[in-house]
Amino acid sequence: MTTSPEEAPLSSGPLAEISPPAAEPSLHGPPPPLLSGLARFALQRLLLIPAQLVLVILILYLAIDVPVALTRTPPVSLAGIDQGFYQLVFNLFTGNWGTSSFLRFFNGGGGAPNPAEPIPWTQIFAYYIPTSIQLALFALPIAAVLAYPISLYAGWSRRPGFDAPARLVTLTGALLPVFVVGTLVLNALFAGYLGYLQDVPSQGLLPADFWFFDRGGYPPWILYGFATQPTGLPLVDAVIHQAWTIAFISLTKTLIQASVIGIAYVAIFFRHARSIARSVREEVYIVGARSRGISERTLLWRHAARAVAPSFLLVFALTIPEYLGVQFAVEVAFVDPGFGYLIFASLTGGVLSPLVPLVFLMSIVVLVWALLVDLIAIRLDPRGLAGR
Amino acid sequence: MTDIVATHPVHPPPPPSRPTVRERWARRPPSLGFLVGAGMLALYLVTALSALVVFRSSLDQLPRNVAWVPPFNPLGPSAAHLFGVMPGFGTDLFRAVWEATPWDLGIVAGILSIDIFLGFFLGAIAGLDEGGLVDGIVTFVGDSIASIPTFILAVVVFAGLLTVAPQAVSLPVFVVVFGIILWPTMARTVRERARIIAHQPYIEAARASGASFPRILVRHVLPNSVGPVLAQLPLDMAPIFFVLSAFPWYYNCQLPGGPPTPPHTPPVNYLVPALPYFSPLPSSSFPEWGYLLGFGTCEGFSFPGGFNYWWMYLFPLLAIVGLGVAIGLVCDGIERWRQFDR
Repeated sequence: MTTSPEEAPLSSGPLAEISPPAAEPSLHGPPPPLLSGLARFALQRLLLIPAQLVLVILILYLAIDVPVALTRTPPVSLAGIDQGFYQLVFNLFTGNWGTSSFLRFFNGGGGAPNPAEPIPWTQIFAYYIPTSIQLALFALPIAAVLAYPISLYAGWSRRPGFDAPARLVTLTGALLPVFVVGTLVLNALFAGYLGYLQDVPSQGLLPADFWFFDRGGYPPWILYGFATQPTGLPLVDAVIHQAWTIAFISLTKTLIQASVIGIAYVAIFFRHARSIARSVREEVYIVGARSRGISERTLLWRHAARAVAPSFLLVFALTIPEYLGVQFAVEVAFVDPGFGYLIFASLTGGVLSPLVPLVFLMSIVVLVWALLVDLIAIRLDPRGLAGR
Repeated sequence: MTDIVATHPVHPPPPPSRPTVRERWARRPPSLGFLVGAGMLALYLVTALSALVVFRSSLDQLPRNVAWVPPFNPLGPSAAHLFGVMPGFGTDLFRAVWEATPWDLGIVAGILSIDIFLGFFLGAIAGLDEGGLVDGIVTFVGDSIASIPTFILAVVVFAGLLTVAPQAVSLPVFVVVFGIILWPTMARTVRERARIIAHQPYIEAARASGASFPRILVRHVLPNSVGPVLAQLPLDMAPIFFVLSAFPWYYNCQLPGGPPTPPHTPPVNYLVPALPYFSPLPSSSFPEWGYLLGFGTCEGFSFPGGFNYWWMYLFPLLAIVGLGVAIGLVCDGIERWRQFDR
């Protein structure tokens, strides 16, 4: 991860300016690096991701494949179950993720199960993932808009009247299981939702079954299992097909779920981010600006808000797995056919075969996402690169 | 004028000794939050000990009163049943929460101890050894494990263990597995703090005067890295109870047609408490807060107008959140006290 002492000053730091030009090789040191510090850091991290994924696969192999192979119990369609670890790694990296026995559900709806044609897991994931993406596209901005100012203000404020209750409330929020909050919200909304929108909030992002039956069945662009065409994102597809009622119901449901996710995520984010805002309060330039008569409000929302941005982004990168956990639980609580719902269903139903590719896919998302957020944070504040 | 002659030998002042607990208390009494948290923790301990004495013969089994099982007219909180009655279980909820206290305190204490032990030591060693082999291994393995959401990894590992040796898997194994899974988050925050400490001048001075790596670790880095542990500890409680409550809830509520029943059994018109196959609990009538919360949320909202049956989920929830808040308050109080010392 770290550079050797000889080349460290060249990549970053004051010596970078006085190092000899690349045209004439110097006798006094190694030639300057080909890549800038940021590019080298990005490349190192990018090369590390496959290695980390192999370790994740090893954990999953030891946790699931070996026990199943030892006991020779079904399900046997696990990716690479009889082929050993290297074959499993090869299969996962090449997209050969095994097949499913979810035939009744996916064979065109109503068609007889056809055991001769098992469905690849990739195809089933393609049904579930767009719903999760749509939810995340709404939930992430809401979570950021809530978490950023609350953490900043609580850390900044000197009044114990705000900080102490905020700490208590957010800790309580972090301890409340999301499914309980989701169940309470659903039941509070139920009557109003049924009255005004003629729909129930607990049946996924699309309108409820009875709504479709009352209006002559599903439109042709909604497939079995609530997968929509052509993009897979229910809201976008409804707009494309100009089904405005469906779009409106999908939008309100997504917003409700995203709000629950945002509130639950604030609780997790807050405890990490509060101390960062606290340390910024004592920075020299803040004290200096205050002594020149700049109002506290300007200091907080102009200066401090900009100063904490890179650190807050790093906290965001650190808590991505927690965010995913929250979103999955909300999907389950709202019976929304997304990625988290699939994970819960396969775990609770005792179908272990999709777990290896599911967790593998999730690790890719987490690691790549963390890398992207890290790069943005370093772009905002290059000093962070020195400590890596 | 005569020369000044020192007639009395000059004694250097004695080195400042560490203040005793009583002196610290006198200088700055602990905050109200700390006292409230410590009082709540003491209450939990007393409850657990009394449960060990009162229910010593049947601590792992909730009694089932057949008259309370059907949900025709669920009994709410009253003088006879302080927390009401949970239909399905057919048990008095106050007794259930009380009986569950020693189990849950044991689970939380066990998991958090392993979490602290691994996360604190590995994180501090990695931070002090920045750029070294240990740091590389700890960071690499920790980052990889942390890329999987905690609750999924815990359940996956536990489900795999159950496949190999269903008889050997029990609550203690769950505690060990969960503790091992939780450490990367703790180690990451501790490592960041230890890394900053390792660059302080007094560490340089200790190194220059020949102090060994273990001595610097134990004398300087570990005592100064307690802060992140205290901040992280209450948060680490959340995934434990999430796993213990969410899966029973989902299993009892969300499977189409409720939990699976043995073939040729007549359907019942109420929820029978059932556990998913990978649950660490030994039986479906085991007293445990998370299980009570999961089943109670499901049962309470399976009635029309679920908000009227609030006691079924509120009291287990209060027990869980109360323990977390107590730990959080005590940790915050200790942290404030430590900062005052310096």
